[in-house]
Amino acid sequence: MKQTLSLIAFVAAIPAFAQETRQLDAHEHGVGMLDIAIEGTTVAMEFHAPGADIVGFEFKAESDADLAALDAAIATLRSPLDLFVVPGAADCTVTEAQAELESDEENEDHGGEHKDDHAEDDHDDHGHEDHAEEAGHTEFHAEYRLTCDNPDALSKITFAYFETFPNAQEVQVQLITSAGARAFEVERDTPILDLER
Amino acid sequence: MTLRLALASLFARALTVGMTILAIGLSVALFLGVEKVRTGAKASFADTISGTDLIIGARSGSVQLLLYSVFRIGNATNNVTWESYQDIADRPEVDWIVPISLGDSHRQFRVMGTTQAFFDHYKYRQGRALAMSDGVIMDDLFDTVIGADVATTLGYSVDDPIVVAHGLASFTEHKDQPFRVSGILEKTGTPVDRTVIVSMEAIEAIHVDWQSGAQIPGQSTPVDVIRGMELTPKAITAALVGVESPLQTFALQRAINEYPEEPLLAILPGVALQELWGIVGIAETALLAVSAMVVVTALIGMMATIFSSLNERRREMAIFRAMGARPATILGMLVFEAMLMAAFGALLGVALLYAGLFIAQPIVDSAFGLWLPIDAPSLREVYVILGVVAAGAIVSMVPALRAYRLSVADGMMIKS
Repeated sequence: MKQTLSLIAFVAAIPAFAQETRQLDAHEHGVGMLDIAIEGTTVAMEFHAPGADIVGFEFKAESDADLAALDAAIATLRSPLDLFVVPGAADCTVTEAQAELESDEENEDHGGEHKDDHAEDDHDDHGHEDHAEEAGHTEFHAEYRLTCDNPDALSKITFAYFETFPNAQEVQVQLITSAGARAFEVERDTPILDLER
Repeated sequence: MTLRLALASLFARALTVGMTILAIGLSVALFLGVEKVRTGAKASFADTISGTDLIIGARSGSVQLLLYSVFRIGNATNNVTWESYQDIADRPEVDWIVPISLGDSHRQFRVMGTTQAFFDHYKYRQGRALAMSDGVIMDDLFDTVIGADVATTLGYSVDDPIVVAHGLASFTEHKDQPFRVSGILEKTGTPVDRTVIVSMEAIEAIHVDWQSGAQIPGQSTPVDVIRGMELTPKAITAALVGVESPLQTFALQRAINEYPEEPLLAILPGVALQELWGIVGIAETALLAVSAMVVVTALIGMMATIFSSLNERRREMAIFRAMGARPATILGMLVFEAMLMAAFGALLGVALLYAGLFIAQPIVDSAFGLWLPIDAPSLREVYVILGVVAAGAIVSMVPALRAYRLSVADGMMIKS
């Protein structure tokens, strides 16, 4: 997503390179995505949610109130066990938690994954605001790593997330365990994910 | 007493009762059979691929990629270039990667180009590996390994020469390069049974003299020359990937999906299968609903036979009443008879189902590659039997209540 936005910025800026790849991920308001991978006692989670779900807006925050809302949301997203509540018996602790807002402005830290050097070069020289508005969407992105001493007790996850963020309607969950990959949909009405189903 | 009476009464009308029981039995067998086929098909599909973390192909839909790469249903929208394949294979998250190249055929069977790694990493039915029933894995350029169904259908044995055709259902065959059967795989119950496996280089070799889909006239490269050629594949259809650690699967998937040089798609096979069930789920439900309606129809048929029996049993009922049976006893007896019929019908249905399974299992397996397991009756079957008996009791209430209301005198009078 980020790389794409930077690519758009780049493509718009230099027409000579206009044949550069352009792509945008699907973006659906109300629907977040949670990927969970479990190996031994390590649980890795990655969470994506549209800005609209978390803070209710996707424009560039300028007012103090909006900026404060963003900060508060990121702080909340940094404590995964309050949002995605696992059974106490699993004995999980958070070893790593990152959360950020993915938009055009905050691209620098993600350059490492990206092969196109030039996409980054022009990054600071152009009016980002315009492009951000063109793309029109922002996404929150969080990565967590947990250690669960008793992973067998991970039978369900309660999505307190829906109480915290009233705009969120649904989370699409993908789960990878040693048994393979499965997908679930967790909705606001039934915010409990039964992993043993 | 009631049981004896009811049984005797049913025996007395053996023919109509027998037909009713048969109708209920057939409908129950159909209902349970549909469910068996449904779960069997699901298990068969789910068992086809196991141990593969990601499937990579050209960007299309996840279900489509799954269908053409694993089930050989449909065709790829695009190929994946060899450069991209190498790029992905070099990533640190990748534990193993197996390329797959489809698009040629031998008779009605698909030819799949792959590497030796396919035999090590392709797993089916919860981690079972492929095994050779005869011969060895190909190690020469023109060696092929064929699936069990290919061998039985075409009567091939090890060392037989075969000719591989270009494209599917094509008239032009690659006559110049005679392939040889080097090994035959054991039956797996997966699409591998219906596949001719050759090396990636062989797929290139087949196409040496072919440009833009047609053979260049008068040009035919001798086999020796082909052997000396550089036969690095230019493209593959799909690739199966195993990751080092499940924790890295999502990161690798995302990296492939955002691969800037080529539009690629990486899917989790299990999730794509679930998506597929989501699509066929509607048809499944419809099928199940139709077969449930057949059961209902059979039960209503039973109600009709009870109604018509009321007329012929007017005297019988009247005698019972005259001897002191209360109207409630009559009602109870009729309902009980109906429940017995429904129970016999349901049991007959289960028996028919198992008989049918024993007969159909090998036929369905060879015709559709669908293995229908014969298990002991599950709780589900018990519920269905109980449900049919309960439904039988409910529908029989209608004629029974009618009998309940008829007066003694009504039965005693002689109707002209």
